[in-house]
Amino acid sequence: MRRRLAGYLFILPYLFVFIPFVVLPLFIGMSLGFFQWEMLSPVEPRFVGLQQIRLAFNDPYFWNALKATSLFVLFCVPMTVILSLTIALGLHAIKQRQSIYRSIFVLPMMVNITVVGLLWRWMLNTDFGVFNGYLKYFGIQIPWTGEPGWAMLSIIMLTLWWGIGAPTIILLAGLKHIPKQYYEAAKVDGANSVRRFVSVTLPLLKPSLVFVLVTQLIASFQIFGQTFIVTKGGPNNSTRVLMHHIYETSFVQYRIGYGAAMSMLLFLVIVVITLIQYFLVKER
Amino acid sequence: MKYRRFIEFMVLVLAIIFLLPMLLIVLTSFKSEAEILNFSSLLPKNWTLSNYVRLFSNHEEIPIAVWTINSFLYASTTTLIVLIIDSLAAYGLARMNLRFSKTILAIFIATMMVPAQVQLIPTYLILNKFGWLDTMLAIVIPPTANAFGIFLLYQFFKKIPKDLEEAAALDGCSRLRMFWHIALPLSKPALATLGLLVFLGSWNDFLSPLVFLDSSDRLTLPVGIATFQSSYYSEYSLTLAAGTIATVPALLAFLIFQKSIIEGIAHSGLKD
Repeated sequence: MRRRLAGYLFILPYLFVFIPFVVLPLFIGMSLGFFQWEMLSPVEPRFVGLQQIRLAFNDPYFWNALKATSLFVLFCVPMTVILSLTIALGLHAIKQRQSIYRSIFVLPMMVNITVVGLLWRWMLNTDFGVFNGYLKYFGIQIPWTGEPGWAMLSIIMLTLWWGIGAPTIILLAGLKHIPKQYYEAAKVDGANSVRRFVSVTLPLLKPSLVFVLVTQLIASFQIFGQTFIVTKGGPNNSTRVLMHHIYETSFVQYRIGYGAAMSMLLFLVIVVITLIQYFLVKER
Repeated sequence: MKYRRFIEFMVLVLAIIFLLPMLLIVLTSFKSEAEILNFSSLLPKNWTLSNYVRLFSNHEEIPIAVWTINSFLYASTTTLIVLIIDSLAAYGLARMNLRFSKTILAIFIATMMVPAQVQLIPTYLILNKFGWLDTMLAIVIPPTANAFGIFLLYQFFKKIPKDLEEAAALDGCSRLRMFWHIALPLSKPALATLGLLVFLGSWNDFLSPLVFLDSSDRLTLPVGIATFQSSYYSEYSLTLAAGTIATVPALLAFLIFQKSIIEGIAHSGLKD
């Protein structure tokens, strides 16, 4: 009995931060959305039930933010998966200097989002940025952050550059785990390289691919830093994403309850996606 | 063989494209503002240190030395606490024959799925209740609840042979000493990986210092740069010089410890 107790004592220090900063926020987060609470007003928080969820559904800014976020997720996630898989396959195919190349693709991850954002804002600048600086030799000038469509594309390009490292490493590790014998067996059976990719690589890489897909979806729905710094949500609120709207509602306007209600909706979306993925994997 | 050459060539081209923006941060920080506003080449025509001189001579509005110290202080404190409490918890779960160890571990891991940004508002309120807002504690303590570390160390501790500890027990060694003298030294690679990932995560965090801190002299580098950039200066020369200062330590850490860092990231995707 005493030995058991000693074991739990080892866990105790972790619980001191786990309970106030993981468990408690979870429960508060689940209930806060049902309260109307404006920090700057003297009125006490009061229970309003689903009123703020309804408020969100009638809030054109919320719908706009949901649209911007969905658009970003819809394009950025598949592009991330395809690009990281391509790079991982390329790295896997070359044996020399593999670790140098791999490190280069991870390098951007080490730069924090402020610097990434400010760097890209300068590179994308219409008048003196690098992109237009070179494009002018071809007689082309692109309004990178000046038009809604281009602005979203710019944000996606930046995100690909910044975030490709982790999925690439995970997929490369997955590729290395596939036993060579499978490829040799497939070769003996006369399968060409395309066939080997479809019938050996893809199915055996599936766990890593699904992991990358799910983590990318979860992270992409929470996009914030990129748009907050590079486009500031513009032009015409076209890149004003959900987290941006939640941040301003909660910490600029101090409408804590309403911000939490929208956070709950965002969380719900993430949970649903995770569950769908989970069942898709389990089925096969 | 030709095919392999072609692939390596394509990888090389992509790698150069990915590397260019990194070089640009550093190179451009040595250009004058005038040259930046009139882009003509990647390399500076006239190398100048004036951006750095201006950056460091303006303590009043841009306390960048203070922000750098803050970032170091916050990131290393968080890392130290995570290493201590995570290794203790992982040891308790992995080596002490607890009846509910599997369940407890599962609960800890499940909480990794909850996005940090969804917890932002509740955490703000809790920090407010504790009176920790706008203090170092607000940045250092919440991220120490790091379940990934427990998950990583648990797997390492599980692999330690039973005989080692039984022999130690015969010699009258206490659990805490076994933890300190056997488990920890054997898990150095995992501890290094975890420490680096936590440090980089904290060094680069943007949202929590933005929301939880207020006073200029308590900010971290990322948020400090973002605020001075929007309030005082819109000059890219200063911004990029500040960016270089914020980036170089992280890059150095990565270059020195890249093997551990990459293994740590790969590990997050390989689950049995």
